[in-house]
Amino acid sequence: MLMHHIANASLTDKVMSSEDSNPAATPTPGVDTQGDGRWMSLHNHFVSNSKDKEPDVLFVGDSLVQLLYQFEVWRDLFSPLHALNFGVGGDATQHVLWRLSNGELGHISPKVVVLWVGTNNHGHTAEQICGGIMAIVQLIKDKLPKAYTLVLGVLPRGKMPNPLRERNAQVNKLVQEAVSSLPHASLLNVDPGFVHSDGSISHQDLYDYLHLTPQGYQAVCQPLHAHLKGLLEKQAEN
Amino acid sequence: MGDTRLISNPQRMSGDEINPAAVAQAVEDVQGDDRWMSQHTRFVQECKDAEPEVLFIGDSMVQLMQQYEIWRELFSPLHALNFGIGGDTTCNVLWRLQNGELDNIRPKVTVVWVGTNNHEHSAEQVAGGILAIAQLLTSRLPKTKVVVLGLLARGDGPNPLREKNAAVNGFLRSWLPRLGQAQFLDVGAGFVHSDGTISTRDMFDFLHLTAAGYRAIAKPLSDLLLQILDETPEEKRASLV
Repeated sequence: MLMHHIANASLTDKVMSSEDSNPAATPTPGVDTQGDGRWMSLHNHFVSNSKDKEPDVLFVGDSLVQLLYQFEVWRDLFSPLHALNFGVGGDATQHVLWRLSNGELGHISPKVVVLWVGTNNHGHTAEQICGGIMAIVQLIKDKLPKAYTLVLGVLPRGKMPNPLRERNAQVNKLVQEAVSSLPHASLLNVDPGFVHSDGSISHQDLYDYLHLTPQGYQAVCQPLHAHLKGLLEKQAEN
Repeated sequence: MGDTRLISNPQRMSGDEINPAAVAQAVEDVQGDDRWMSQHTRFVQECKDAEPEVLFIGDSMVQLMQQYEIWRELFSPLHALNFGIGGDTTCNVLWRLQNGELDNIRPKVTVVWVGTNNHEHSAEQVAGGILAIAQLLTSRLPKTKVVVLGLLARGDGPNPLREKNAAVNGFLRSWLPRLGQAQFLDVGAGFVHSDGTISTRDMFDFLHLTAAGYRAIAKPLSDLLLQILDETPEEKRASLV
């Protein structure tokens, strides 16, 4: 099955990203199950927030993106790069796909889009999640032809080894393969080595074995920041 | 307000039905990485190693606070432990307290902040669940003072959950003082603007607090904690061999 993917990457991508067969690649708005409409409020907030901004970098994804904005590291490293943050906690690939298709890219032309999503795609296979991520990459290319998409690798999670770690690692492997032929996108592994030799993850890095502490963000963001600066300089030359 | 029998027995609603919000319940691992149990296990271990004066317990409102500077500034110096878990309901907190998270510790103050995730329960049930937690704490730790934080407003504009959380607070305001060692602290003032909106500068997703949001609530809370700690005489601790 995997060899088939590598041999016919573009065909497989089409199959994986067609709306009928891959829920991870089918634009889907968040559902208000709780009763306060927060998902849509956030989406609308991002759309209207983008109307008077001219970001060079757009971060989009799930809570790992959203929480990044709350800590000093954002102000230190990413505000100076003129970055906007469109992270929504709980989002899976299909939610990000919906948001970007419905106005969040309407008024801005960032040079780089940093995409960090996939860990919340519960019930989807690694192939489906990769298809969802690639659908987002394609959408960004369609809407922002000059933008570069930097996909961040999905982090390991859980205190000890578990199926989600395997799934996330497989997603990263598949995405790496899928973007390798694309000039406008790449995958950056931002895991500085969170998993220790005994297989454990520390709560000092991921306070609930999923979300990053400020210390965890520092470890992730230093190399990310350096990489972003390099990309922006290259984009400026083009 | 509500059935006064709830005060003596919050596990039962009027008519002697069981209050589902007061039934202890662990979180099931549906995602596949067992994170809830890992966090609970870590807290139980922390009880073996630490001698906290203050214990915080609750949901993500408690948990996230520890990630901001304000925790190190105002609460670490009070020797505080943080047993918050994102997503927790009153049922989950009750289970954790009954299954090790109170073992070997004798905090002078326990801060309880939970209830906003109790989506299956009515306001009265949620308040009953919080009351059950306060009762459990005072029965397990007879000398502790319990501070229950009011549920914050949530959502971009007016919505049913704001009304529900306000109703929970209303029940707690009248029920908690009757417990003697428990008190209610409303830290929600100022978050809802005159036009009914909440700003993302205070709640980044109209639910969870930003650094600025935590700063606003931490001051009255820290003042109250200092006051309680000042009033509480030092216990002679049995020497631990």
